[in-house]
Amino acid sequence: MSVVAESEPMAFHADVPIYAEEASAAGLTIQYDGPWEYFVGGGVATFDCNADRIPDVFIAGGANESALFINRSETGGTLAFEKSTQQSTSIERVTGAYPINIDNDDWIDLVILRVGENQLLKGGPNCTFTQANASFGFDGGSAWSTAFSATFENGQSHPTLAIGNYVDRTAPGSPWGTCEDNQLLRPLNNDNNQANYSEPLTLSPGHCSLSMLFTDWNKSGKEALRITNDRHYHRGGEEQLWNISSGKYPRLFTRADGWQSLVIWGMGIAEGDLNADGFPEYVLTSMGDTKIQTVDVVQASEEQRPVYEDIAYQRGATAHRPYTGEDLKPSTGWHAQFADINNDTLLDLYIAKGNVERMEDFARFDPDNLLLGNHDGRFVERGDKAGIALDRRGRGASVTDFNADGLLDLLVVNRGAPVSLFRNTGFASEHGPRQGGNWLAIELKQNGINRQALGAKLAIKTGNKTQVRHIKLGGGHASGQLGFVHVGLGVAERATVRVQWPDGEWSAAFRLFANHFAVIERGDAHVSYWYPPTAQE
Amino acid sequence: MRTLNCNNQPLLSGFTLSFCLYGAVAFAQASEPNNSINPWDDAALPVHTDAALLEGELDKTTLLKLLDQGEALFNAAFTTQDGVGRPMATQAIIPTKRKRAAREEFSRTAGLDASACSSCHNQPAIGGAGDFVANVFVSEGFQLADFDTTDPQFSNERNTNHLFGAGLVELLAREMSTELAKLRQTGLALARSTGETTTVDLVTKGVNFGKLDIHPDGVVSTKRLEGIDTDLIIKPFSQKGVITSLRQFSVNALNHHHGMQANERFGPRWTGTDDFDEDQVTNEISDADVSALVLWQATLQPPTVETDLPASWTAAAARGSKKFDEIGCNACHQRTLPLDSLVFADPGPMDAAGTLRTGENGATNNTVYDLALLDWASRLEKDAQGRWLVPLFGDLKRHVIADNKVDHLGNELLSQRFVERNVFMTSELWGIGSTAPYGHRGDLTTLVDIISAHGGDARDSRDVYVKLNETEKSDITAFLKTLVIKP
Repeated sequence: MSVVAESEPMAFHADVPIYAEEASAAGLTIQYDGPWEYFVGGGVATFDCNADRIPDVFIAGGANESALFINRSETGGTLAFEKSTQQSTSIERVTGAYPINIDNDDWIDLVILRVGENQLLKGGPNCTFTQANASFGFDGGSAWSTAFSATFENGQSHPTLAIGNYVDRTAPGSPWGTCEDNQLLRPLNNDNNQANYSEPLTLSPGHCSLSMLFTDWNKSGKEALRITNDRHYHRGGEEQLWNISSGKYPRLFTRADGWQSLVIWGMGIAEGDLNADGFPEYVLTSMGDTKIQTVDVVQASEEQRPVYEDIAYQRGATAHRPYTGEDLKPSTGWHAQFADINNDTLLDLYIAKGNVERMEDFARFDPDNLLLGNHDGRFVERGDKAGIALDRRGRGASVTDFNADGLLDLLVVNRGAPVSLFRNTGFASEHGPRQGGNWLAIELKQNGINRQALGAKLAIKTGNKTQVRHIKLGGGHASGQLGFVHVGLGVAERATVRVQWPDGEWSAAFRLFANHFAVIERGDAHVSYWYPPTAQE
Repeated sequence: MRTLNCNNQPLLSGFTLSFCLYGAVAFAQASEPNNSINPWDDAALPVHTDAALLEGELDKTTLLKLLDQGEALFNAAFTTQDGVGRPMATQAIIPTKRKRAAREEFSRTAGLDASACSSCHNQPAIGGAGDFVANVFVSEGFQLADFDTTDPQFSNERNTNHLFGAGLVELLAREMSTELAKLRQTGLALARSTGETTTVDLVTKGVNFGKLDIHPDGVVSTKRLEGIDTDLIIKPFSQKGVITSLRQFSVNALNHHHGMQANERFGPRWTGTDDFDEDQVTNEISDADVSALVLWQATLQPPTVETDLPASWTAAAARGSKKFDEIGCNACHQRTLPLDSLVFADPGPMDAAGTLRTGENGATNNTVYDLALLDWASRLEKDAQGRWLVPLFGDLKRHVIADNKVDHLGNELLSQRFVERNVFMTSELWGIGSTAPYGHRGDLTTLVDIISAHGGDARDSRDVYVKLNETEKSDITAFLKTLVIKP
């Protein structure tokens, strides 16, 4: 695939999803709102809390209480959620949340980002959660936290956590130029093998981060921490990449390392490997134009120099102003996520959009983007045709198959408005909704530590095409997810899949048939399939 | 070049085939004659099949008329004016670009290798099998797509199968796949309700496809499957048993053998362009064209049993039939499989994206026809439950067919679509009396040779056969040669 900026864009003929908004009917009634501290944030954690493999959601409420919603959707049917009544998940001052298995048990835990003390909630059976800061030796602090990522460093039994903070409201002169430092929490080794985060490291300087992501940026197997920062508040700050080589004190990549200054209103990070070369591309959302960065492969691989080029314009993905309506002012981008939404083997890009609050220099009507990948490498906007161009201020989001039908649905947390829950009802045609391309959903399992295989890579081969997926936790805007990895297969009815497990070991090739949920367990030479319950059961 | 016309008579190809197709076109476009078409034009497909004719349930009159169109397409010697050639696309079933155009468009190995479907499918009549000379060289078409050698490192050499009774075969496969899915679903419900791992025996129409182990969390282990893919979809076509439907087969073959690319897979929706193969011809094969081709193949009458024989042959065949069962040939070559319904829907229920699916174009191209409308259907026997007995002499299951001692049929080096190299679908024996040579490579000239070449799962029966006396072997030959195609 080659992209030439000056060439005429290729006509777009691929499938466009038809989304039906059904949050209210589905019982997903929550609103993210609140004063200044909640102009940012508004996250959603998507994960399975009751071992039924159907994704449940924990949604931030800002000044309102957060809530956990148990997914009761019928397979392939309309979406339905039941609000959990337990107190532990009804928390005020929450900006975002990420699911993670900290203690390597059968249940997913939650990292809750707050304006004030962050919380670790330990997951238990049937979507029960208990406050676990003390048992994990975790000091939630009092900062205004807005970003998170996690990784398993070599030799560690528990994940390393990174927490990104925004403005230090107590510093003199706040909020201008008073960004809070960020934190890196490595688990301490101890005799009883309990997770203990009692000795956090400070990542200083902080530049008012709004998203962060551990990423194997140079295909070395070692992850660095990428942070996007908001120039609205930092002074002299820039985008950051921290070298966190295992066991060593974190160090920023600098000009001497090849890192180039980039100053944006950084709101969200999405990682995707657009050309399957193993070197990820990054979307950075901002006010105005969105960035898509691709690394100079030679410098990255031979000299470990993180030198990036912005290809958003070439790819038709700057998304710098509303694509519909009359407003010509710049857009404000937040959550970003790559996914193959129309199952055609090409990555698509969703971006949540919305004015911060009442910023007159930026678009007031600022619909979310659905940028569908085209065969010439460009993206083509189809948000309006897909039915997601609502007059709402999007923040965090989750592109997930909520009803186990192989079609990716979309949940958007909006500021000052109800969440949007878009069910993918099929793909547009002159005859009405129709089926789309083939797909696979893949779950990776490990025994012992890192059960969800955080850091693993999947290579999905159909014919001569290879797609790459990384199991990541972090990025987006205050939103993260764990669960099946979705891959579009287009017209391929089967795929060969190899897994590079987090320790670098490659699996043998697994042979999978399309339109299935597959479970790959480390050490098992056979793949199993998972079938969601049907209405008849 | 010689070929067969619509009436199965050998005639010079160009004029006669065009004439045949024009007959169908005249039907398809009766309300609006295309005056720009000349009988001497090179295009074999100057007008596409009228999709409106293929909507809904067909009555007998419409069905028979559409058969003409389907036959004309099957018989059409496509030309570059129709879209023959795929200079920048390989033979792969997934649209795959070449890095550079092939030096020669036609190649006896990698293809293009035929002008018409009937170029190979013609023994003893159009839709039939092919001699060794009509072998096809099957490769994935992803790497080394332009192989110019018959070395088995690069392709599997396959003899041409006949298509008589193919509609019945596909209907059997659909019913069996549906039943297997129901068995899986029942097992899932039981495992979930009891909280215990459940084992399901996958038996449909008397054919055993092994077991599923189903866990209470909905996870299904397929480790103990036999002779079927893990998706439990029986793929009844090709020697290997890897093609789901006549529709999928037709789309694959049109591209592979002729460079005629069907919109439903190679069109803009999936490839971004209306000329994926870059031959400067767009819209080469419409959805309706494929439907007409499928219709013609699906309605081909099944092979039959020759009864107009000398008494000595009849007697020998009777003895051979009995012996066939005694030595266990019928364990795989099951004489009949019962079929609940003769109603054929196209598109079918089992195909995936890339082959047109039910409802994908709205009502357009959703065709249903009852094979019972055809005269031959009345000759099918029924069982006590009123099911049609399809006398295919097969089980629609894959088996290991070679071993270390009897290895002739293990002569391929490449697996195909996840199926190992020495595993093949049981060859249906109906029509075998009309379709020599034998074996998946078509390199065995007598029935004795092919039976003796059975190894692997068929080894025990084969060993018994080899030890039979010459009369007993002759009787089995006499029996098998009564299984003929009589178009």
